[in-house]
Amino acid sequence: MASHDDDQDLVVYGTPIEREEDISARKRRAVADAGQLRALPAWKQEVRDEEGRRRFHGAFTGGFSAGFYNTAGSKEGWTPQTFTSSRKSRAEHKKQSIYNFLDEEDIKDMGGNALETSQQYDTFGFTAAEHARKQASKEQNERPSAIPGPVPDELVVPATTSIGVKLLMKMGWHQGRTIKDAHADSLYESRREARKAFLALSGVSNDEDQDQIASQKSRVDENVAESFNKISASGNTPVYVLHPKEDLHGLGFDPFKHAPEFKDRKRSHKSVNRDRNRSDVSVRGSLLISNSGQYAPGFGIGALEELGVEDEDIYASGFNYEQTEVDIEPSKTSGDSKFKLEDKKRGFFLSFKIASNSEYKLERFHPPEIPADFDGRHKFSSPIQTADKFSDLAPPEVPPPEDTTLRLLIEGCAAMVARCGKHIEDFYKEKSKASPQFLFLDGGDGCSYYTRKLWEHQQKFIDRQRPGAVKSKPSSDKLTAENRGTILGEKPLDRSSKSSSSFVSAKEAVQLQSNLGDTFVKPISLDGVPESKKPFRNEPAKQARFEQFLKEKYQGGLRIASLAPTITMSDADRARERLDFEAAADAIEKGKEYKAIDPLSILGLPGLNEQRFVSSTQLESSAVLQDERPMYPQREEFEWRPSPILCKRFDIVDPFMGKVNLSDSTLLGV
Amino acid sequence: SLSLSPKKKGGSPTPEPSARGRTKEMSSAAQQLPRTESRTLSGHEGAVLAVRFNHDGKYCLSCGKDRTVRLWNPHTGAHVKTYKSHGREVRDVNASSDNAKLVSCGGDKQIFYWDVASGKVIRKFRGHNSEVNSVKFNEHNTVVLSAGYDRSVRAFDCRSQSSDPIQTIDTFQDSVMSVNVTNTEIIAGSVDGTVRTFDIRMGRETVDNLGHPVNCISLSNDRNCLLANCLDSTVRLLDKNSGEMLQEYKGHICKSFKMDCCLTNDDAFVIGGSEDGFVFFWELVDAPIVATFRAHSSVVLFPCHQRHLSPNKDLHVDVICRWDHSCLDLKIEIADVCYPY
Repeated sequence: MASHDDDQDLVVYGTPIEREEDISARKRRAVADAGQLRALPAWKQEVRDEEGRRRFHGAFTGGFSAGFYNTAGSKEGWTPQTFTSSRKSRAEHKKQSIYNFLDEEDIKDMGGNALETSQQYDTFGFTAAEHARKQASKEQNERPSAIPGPVPDELVVPATTSIGVKLLMKMGWHQGRTIKDAHADSLYESRREARKAFLALSGVSNDEDQDQIASQKSRVDENVAESFNKISASGNTPVYVLHPKEDLHGLGFDPFKHAPEFKDRKRSHKSVNRDRNRSDVSVRGSLLISNSGQYAPGFGIGALEELGVEDEDIYASGFNYEQTEVDIEPSKTSGDSKFKLEDKKRGFFLSFKIASNSEYKLERFHPPEIPADFDGRHKFSSPIQTADKFSDLAPPEVPPPEDTTLRLLIEGCAAMVARCGKHIEDFYKEKSKASPQFLFLDGGDGCSYYTRKLWEHQQKFIDRQRPGAVKSKPSSDKLTAENRGTILGEKPLDRSSKSSSSFVSAKEAVQLQSNLGDTFVKPISLDGVPESKKPFRNEPAKQARFEQFLKEKYQGGLRIASLAPTITMSDADRARERLDFEAAADAIEKGKEYKAIDPLSILGLPGLNEQRFVSSTQLESSAVLQDERPMYPQREEFEWRPSPILCKRFDIVDPFMGKVNLSDSTLLGV
Repeated sequence: SLSLSPKKKGGSPTPEPSARGRTKEMSSAAQQLPRTESRTLSGHEGAVLAVRFNHDGKYCLSCGKDRTVRLWNPHTGAHVKTYKSHGREVRDVNASSDNAKLVSCGGDKQIFYWDVASGKVIRKFRGHNSEVNSVKFNEHNTVVLSAGYDRSVRAFDCRSQSSDPIQTIDTFQDSVMSVNVTNTEIIAGSVDGTVRTFDIRMGRETVDNLGHPVNCISLSNDRNCLLANCLDSTVRLLDKNSGEMLQEYKGHICKSFKMDCCLTNDDAFVIGGSEDGFVFFWELVDAPIVATFRAHSSVVLFPCHQRHLSPNKDLHVDVICRWDHSCLDLKIEIADVCYPY
């Protein structure tokens, strides 16, 4: 359209696109109705093919209209096709073709073509045969037939060859030959080698090279010989019949079905006849064992049963490979052997061959040199001084020097030396030659006191060790880490209240205490009712009731109905008191557990024992107190993940920033 | 009518003749508290369950057992609009800060999102499995938070078209009675005795166990303190940051009904209702009962109130609501109510 207006430069070509709004609703509905299936819900829709038959019946979505209108019948009804009842009209032999089994749909899928192979791809010549037959029959129909009546086609079938055969024949192949190309190649190769050899020969005058060439020549000869062998081998196509039938019974008949014991004998005979050069004919077991066929060892049968399918050895290979390998051409046994010899030489079948010189030497390492003066006994650095101590007379008791600092110094030094040994003393002596305080080491003031103290400490040391030593023999296996620690004088780590070491007997505890008595100021008194059991110290009446409660709870015996104390209390009060008692009892139980470990844990600093007991009581009392007082408000904090969209709506940066929430079960697909 | 001193949330100056010094002139400040009934807004056909002011205090919304939400102007007493769509009683209502949207919740497990002007339901938020006790908008009006009988707090997105919650918090052990929102936190109080603060910025849930069922929580105006109304007739003041209890207010009766409580705008007084018909005022710091007044002469089952202040107005009104079994024409006088559970 020409533009009339000057300001409008638009030119419109083509048809405009129909917009949705332009189409009226009615039109749209019409379009939709045309594809009616869309409008109806799925369950209302019915699928029919051109003939009006219902498709997709049944429970499955795929499907076909099976049979003859969904029946198993046929157009002729239920009577089978092949049967005709009359005497005169015999049943026609109806040749079944593939079209009997195909649907119209399938034929359509095929493209309306019959299933045939084309001439190009006709491997076995079937199509060619068909074609020839058709051709022949056509010709036959045209020909005025000499033989009256129809001549069966099978009798006169022209020779048909497939295209492959035709091509090969043109290339020089004839029936019975292999198609392998090696023959031509090997000839060519051998000729090439010979040429090379001659060239080399012409330019060399050494003996070595001559040898080389000679070897080359021989190789060439070998090659040629081999190739000739190969040629002769490929002279006729090998016929691969594994078990040629040499007997007279029918196919499929197994003469040894009921006599399996004789099967293997027959076979071994056969195999021996065939493979004379094979010495490793191994039949499973001996002939006497009924292991013939492929029946697994260990399966016996009764007299009334016969070996069947279920008794076969499922692990046996289908073939007896050792008997059916290779030997297809019995005529060239000699060639075989020659082959094998050469193969061994040249490692033809194997990729490895025996090396000419083995450079691998078994490396031997000599044992270490033992010095001549070696004595297999451990020498301790410092001699055990226990023996000396017994013989030594105790140095005389000496009153301590007046100077307390000196006394402390002496005692400390003595303790150290007793613990660590003589070399510390020497060390001190060395270090303190100048210092006047340490003169006692060398024989100054307080020397006698020092020696006495030293002896005392050492005695104690022995004493400590000795019961440990005595104990260690009968109960050496009981020398646990704790005992070792006590011997060494270590302070054990803090234990949790769940320790199971409440098995420490009182006796052991007492022993330990005595052993470590010098380190600690006071022994502990394991008396009856410890402090911890008195949470209601402030109220004696309540405490009495509490003890009664404990007695009732934990100890056996007659329950005396104690009426007097409870009269004054109301029911609610009594109940509340009982709850308090329960709580206190629980706390005591916990404290008890804690306490049971205490004997071992007294290896701490002196005086702490008391502290410990005191503190636990305090804890309990405060715990009891706390029960009465409200514990609220209590604050606890947990992690909470806001969803990212919530954070977005609140204008807050997501604190978790998209980190995967491992505890989110939805992510795990649970 | 009652004229009270205007109290504002910090902002433009207005003469405040008597509320200057808190400690010294406490008595005079106490005189300023509302004591007499100013107006009765009637119209509801059943119990009124909640009343709230809108953000600027010009209007108030009430909802109740007659399944309606009504918009009033309390200053003139006019009934502006009625919103009918709920299937069951309406338990709580909240207005957005721009006065354009309403959100209401009730026994029909749904949260209705209304357009104020047209009166139509924009959307119904689904997600709760049981009655919804309380709803709140957040500051930006983008999220609606709801607390329900099904032990959960759910957050719904107003901006998207979906009706499903964007987040569900279900760590509560019992029915959640009230929910509050600040800029960064969601605070909810539940019958299991806990007040839980969900800090969105930190990603943390802080549980304050009070030991007694909490039926209502409210925030102080400086956002530092939480006021929790507990069913042992105690109103507790908690410090939000540390969780310790600052003060307890007793004297009223609150044993079985949901009752609201709040603070005055300057955080000087705590106001609470009582089941015997009284409204109680306590001084914040020392917790003496400063004033009480009888809200209703007739049998009042659960008065409670909530206050909200208009920053511009001179008036300062308390809204309390009452529920009277016998009468049919139930009156709202002042807002918020509780319902038995």
